[in-house]
Amino acid sequence: MDVLKRLMVIMTVMILAIIGLVLSCQRSESSKQNKVVVALVMKTMNNPFFIDMQKGAEDAAEKLNVELIVQAAEREVDVEKQMQIIENLIQRKVSAICVTPSGSREIVPAIVKANRAKIPVLVVDTRVDQNTLDELGGTIATFIGSDNVEGGRIAGKFIVERLQETGKIVILEGIPGHETGDARLRGFHEIIDQYPGIELIASQTANWERDQGFNVFQNILQSHPEVEALFACNDMMALGAVEANSISGRNKVLLVIGFDAVEDGRDAIRSGKMTGSVAQHPYVMGYEAVIRASEVINGQILDEYIPVKIEMITQENVDNQ
Amino acid sequence: MKLKALIQHYSRQFGTLLGLVGLILIMWILSPHFLTIPNFLNIAQQTSINAIIAVGLTFVIITAGIDLSVGSILAFSGVVLASVLNAGAPMGLAMATGIGVGLVCGLVNGVLIAFGKLPPFIATLGMMSIARGGALLYTQGRPISGFGLNFRTLATGELFHIPIPVILMFFIYLIAHFVLTHTKLGRYTYAIGGNEEAAHLSGINVRAYKAAIYGICGMLSGLASIILTARLNSAQPIAGFMYELDAIAATVIGGTSLMGGEGRIVGTLIGALIMGVLRNGLNLLGVSSFLQQAIIGSVIIIAVLIDTTLKRKR
Repeated sequence: MDVLKRLMVIMTVMILAIIGLVLSCQRSESSKQNKVVVALVMKTMNNPFFIDMQKGAEDAAEKLNVELIVQAAEREVDVEKQMQIIENLIQRKVSAICVTPSGSREIVPAIVKANRAKIPVLVVDTRVDQNTLDELGGTIATFIGSDNVEGGRIAGKFIVERLQETGKIVILEGIPGHETGDARLRGFHEIIDQYPGIELIASQTANWERDQGFNVFQNILQSHPEVEALFACNDMMALGAVEANSISGRNKVLLVIGFDAVEDGRDAIRSGKMTGSVAQHPYVMGYEAVIRASEVINGQILDEYIPVKIEMITQENVDNQ
Repeated sequence: MKLKALIQHYSRQFGTLLGLVGLILIMWILSPHFLTIPNFLNIAQQTSINAIIAVGLTFVIITAGIDLSVGSILAFSGVVLASVLNAGAPMGLAMATGIGVGLVCGLVNGVLIAFGKLPPFIATLGMMSIARGGALLYTQGRPISGFGLNFRTLATGELFHIPIPVILMFFIYLIAHFVLTHTKLGRYTYAIGGNEEAAHLSGINVRAYKAAIYGICGMLSGLASIILTARLNSAQPIAGFMYELDAIAATVIGGTSLMGGEGRIVGTLIGALIMGVLRNGLNLLGVSSFLQQAIIGSVIIIAVLIDTTLKRKR
């Protein structure tokens, strides 16, 4: 039985270690049993956009004196884990759930579960698919976010204007099927498709990522060195493409428009490597989400869409905010 | 004395079980929402997908192999299943097709490893990319969604208040336990992992059995894809990304040795439940996602550390 004894000792140590870890990092929740708890479930916690959103939510929670739980799946694309988090928060009996869906359709069953538990759901940043919502009988309290289609239009107008209605352009798309990226693309196409002088020579996905933006754009430059403007559906891909362009030894001016105006993107705009970026305001989204959530908890009925402003950031206005 | 023998036979799994019970106690103390029947069913349901994939990995790892392609196979099976379903085929046929795709991918792994003499790591690493690429090509990167109520019921339905995925999971564990302990396939699985050369010399058709075991592993990924697809009401080509790591973790926490030759299916179930309870409990406590990852990683290391320490003592 020596083996068993040893095992017990080791297990006990392990258990104590975990207790210690959890306790040292979390204050006990029993002391605030009756406090309002708002949950914010994001796509990820390691992207500047979502870090800003979290900051906004935290500031609002502090102002309203509500408890805020912020969680995200380990991997941005993992909707199933996001669903698990929501299921667990339902068990936790939080007062309201704000979610930025990792999948516009896939998140709907989780929303339905929250509905059944009578926990209001506020959708932030990325819309859920209305058809799926209707089909499964889900309801949301509101959508808080920027109109990505409008953002795409802003980028389209800017490029058309700068190129004086003629030029060859490239698009770097996000992950296909992501409503956010698809909407930006739709808005962008709405504008450029009206101008016969604007020639779209390539439109490929770089899966939202910087290194893929670099690789994909490098490949495009091989076959189309004459490209004059690039629209990337987020800044990460735009930044990757900017690097690919700068090491290509091309001396033609390249217009680069990104999306989100993250800090790295703003730096690139200041130094002139990037032309501009369509800015959303994730901080405002996070802030609004918590404020609106507490309004819903207090029984208020919200508008079905709460817009957050969206605008083009260039060298002229990059330091204004 | 019978109890003592039983405990010794399952000594490693007994330790894992103690770990699970300890974890449950901690979560119970820390969160008033943890120890409720709905939450336990919730955990069991969340565990089911990983647990089913981990059954296949337990077989593979007992043979001293590894399968890195299960997550990608799950995605590929899922999108094929979804497209068959959306084409109007009966549910049974669609599900069989999904499982079939998993089986075929798994068999390809098995044949490459057993007959092509590729290291399992390499063969399944290749399949990981091939199946993922296949899923993306097949769907042009877009998810396939919107299924009938009957199909969704596979994830949302309950029998005697127990969610269907949970029932399915236990059913598969019963079968797998029986296969490993009471059939030729089971005995040979251990024999191959213990000493492949000796197994071969004693007349076991090692290659055929190995190919079959990888086939089973792929098939179970196909099966898991049914639950995942029904749960999300959508099949995504990017689904199951890195699920292989969770399944390997559950297997290893459950006491299956990566060196092969030993492991028990019960252990894998407990391992998967430990991961499920941890995730759930940490969510309930509102622990930051970053810390959660670190804690889960620590548990994996501690579990294996116990294993190796014990072995040295023996």
